[in-house]
Amino acid sequence: MTNKIIKWIDYRFPLSSLIKHELTGYPVPRNLSYWWNFGFLALFVLILQVATGLFLAMHYKPDAAIAFDSIQHIMREVNYGWLLRYMHSTGASAFFLVIYIHMARTLYYGSYRAPRELMWWTGQGLLLLLMATAFMGYLLPWGQMSFWGATVITNLFRATPFIGDEVVVWLRGDYAVGDDTLTRFFALHYLFPFLIIGAVVVHLVALHTVKSSNPSGIDLADKDNIPFHPYYTSKDFFGMGIFLIAYFIVVFFFPHSVLEPANNIPANPMITPDHIVPEWYFLPFYAILRSVPNAVGGVVAMGLSVIIFAFMPFLDRSRIPGGGRYRPVYRIMFFIFMLDILLLGYIGYVPATDQTITIGQVATLYYFLSFLLLPFISKAEDMWLFRRGLPSNILALIASEEEEKRIRR
Amino acid sequence: MNKFIASVMLYCTVFTVSASEVKLEKFQVDTSVLAVERGVDTFMEVCHGCHSLKYVFYRDLAALGISRDRIAEWRGDSTLEAAMTSLISDETAILSFGAVPPDLSMMVAARVGGNSYLYAYLTGYYLTSDGEISNHVFPLTKMPDALDISSASDSARRSELQGKAHDIVSFLSWAADPHKAERERMGYYVIGYLILLSVLLYNVKLEVWSRLKT
Repeated sequence: MTNKIIKWIDYRFPLSSLIKHELTGYPVPRNLSYWWNFGFLALFVLILQVATGLFLAMHYKPDAAIAFDSIQHIMREVNYGWLLRYMHSTGASAFFLVIYIHMARTLYYGSYRAPRELMWWTGQGLLLLLMATAFMGYLLPWGQMSFWGATVITNLFRATPFIGDEVVVWLRGDYAVGDDTLTRFFALHYLFPFLIIGAVVVHLVALHTVKSSNPSGIDLADKDNIPFHPYYTSKDFFGMGIFLIAYFIVVFFFPHSVLEPANNIPANPMITPDHIVPEWYFLPFYAILRSVPNAVGGVVAMGLSVIIFAFMPFLDRSRIPGGGRYRPVYRIMFFIFMLDILLLGYIGYVPATDQTITIGQVATLYYFLSFLLLPFISKAEDMWLFRRGLPSNILALIASEEEEKRIRR
Repeated sequence: MNKFIASVMLYCTVFTVSASEVKLEKFQVDTSVLAVERGVDTFMEVCHGCHSLKYVFYRDLAALGISRDRIAEWRGDSTLEAAMTSLISDETAILSFGAVPPDLSMMVAARVGGNSYLYAYLTGYYLTSDGEISNHVFPLTKMPDALDISSASDSARRSELQGKAHDIVSFLSWAADPHKAERERMGYYVIGYLILLSVLLYNVKLEVWSRLKT
């Protein structure tokens, strides 16, 4: 009976071949470490956010007069409304954490290298969409930090040449952040996840064309690939279990750690909070913004600090695969870069003083130099390693990658 | 950039609700229903004249386990379905105190330091050398010393008032996060279940991967 139904469907829709091609027969390198779990986790958090967000939207009111009240209604009166809301607010932070780890893994192992440039760039687009969605979602509780965060960030668009003021009014729907801004941010906050889902599909189609990278940095021979299902489904589900434990510890026991106290005060255009601070996932970029003394320069630097990752496939000129695994200089650069981002995050968090601004400027300079000097450093490192003589296993990897490229051409 | 942010702020009349940077003592709040009940009692006597709790309903107190008779004493003519709003109008409040007393439903969640802040603030009133009443934690406060702790000189009276302040914090802590006890109780079950699930999933993973020949 089941066979008959499947046959009936297969005649009209490629169900069996789809499952075979994308799951049971989809080849994945067998040597992936747990760092490769985070792509799946990102998809899982996306689903969590869409699911909790849908139910929150059934009770939320995007109207400046009652938005704050409707959040309190969700938190107090709606059955398990507090759970939905804490899952959604914690989920936003979890999403960024997972994505940042996913990106760090890509950077460390050089997974952005050919032929996976489009994976990296669609991922970059997804990051921008995620940032926009999170930013607009943060306005919805209509607390003090929501209001002033949105005011400061939309104001940055004043840096647009010639039409800056018009752009700001266009974004806000009014001269100041207000009811119109709230309503349009709600509409867009509901729309953007669908754009993200679309971009995820593109990201996955690209992935299933070029296949997963792996810690060796090269594409493995057929015998070293195993089917995605059941091997990586079982591994991803275990990773999901660990993720859920960490996530629900925050949701049930520390949900306020991702919520700013000032956001429990209703938005008030007449009172500025002492210290306007963005969510943790924007802090390094915020620190870069504040490090540049000129307003337009700061906005450009902040934009560039996010976009610059896209240039990695061009900036890294080493022939050695595996990224930090086989390249000592790159490895050191990677870890110092991670520390630099943490330092910038701290600088973005504390109130600006002369001292923190100086530290922030040095860290910003280092941030950009690690990208701008990478072509020269990676080339020099490559030449040094080749001159010193590489171990035979790495030479074999390079030879196999050259072979692969020749075949594809 | 700072000039940029400053210009944003200058759009508006800037006056900040700011607490001074006093180190707060870590304060463990008693969250038992009894403490909350004493807190409601003190709150109704000392705070409710001016401060509302617009997100808290009298029925919420009943759901917490406080007897209906007690609630009836507090609510007066209001129904059980009514929010715990105060009777003072904004105009009267401005005439008397120069400010609208803030709604206290979310006060514990809305201040850095939460319970510790609120307790330190309520017990932070003192007499200056000029005989004026000031507050260690929030010197610019417009609220009078409601518990009259600044004039309590003997230690027995002082600790009694500190107890009352503690009860108020217990109540407001519950008011800001009424589902906390339920949330944490549920949390242990969920985490326990997930640990069990992860152990099982790990064994599934081992079992599946053991089929691979090395």
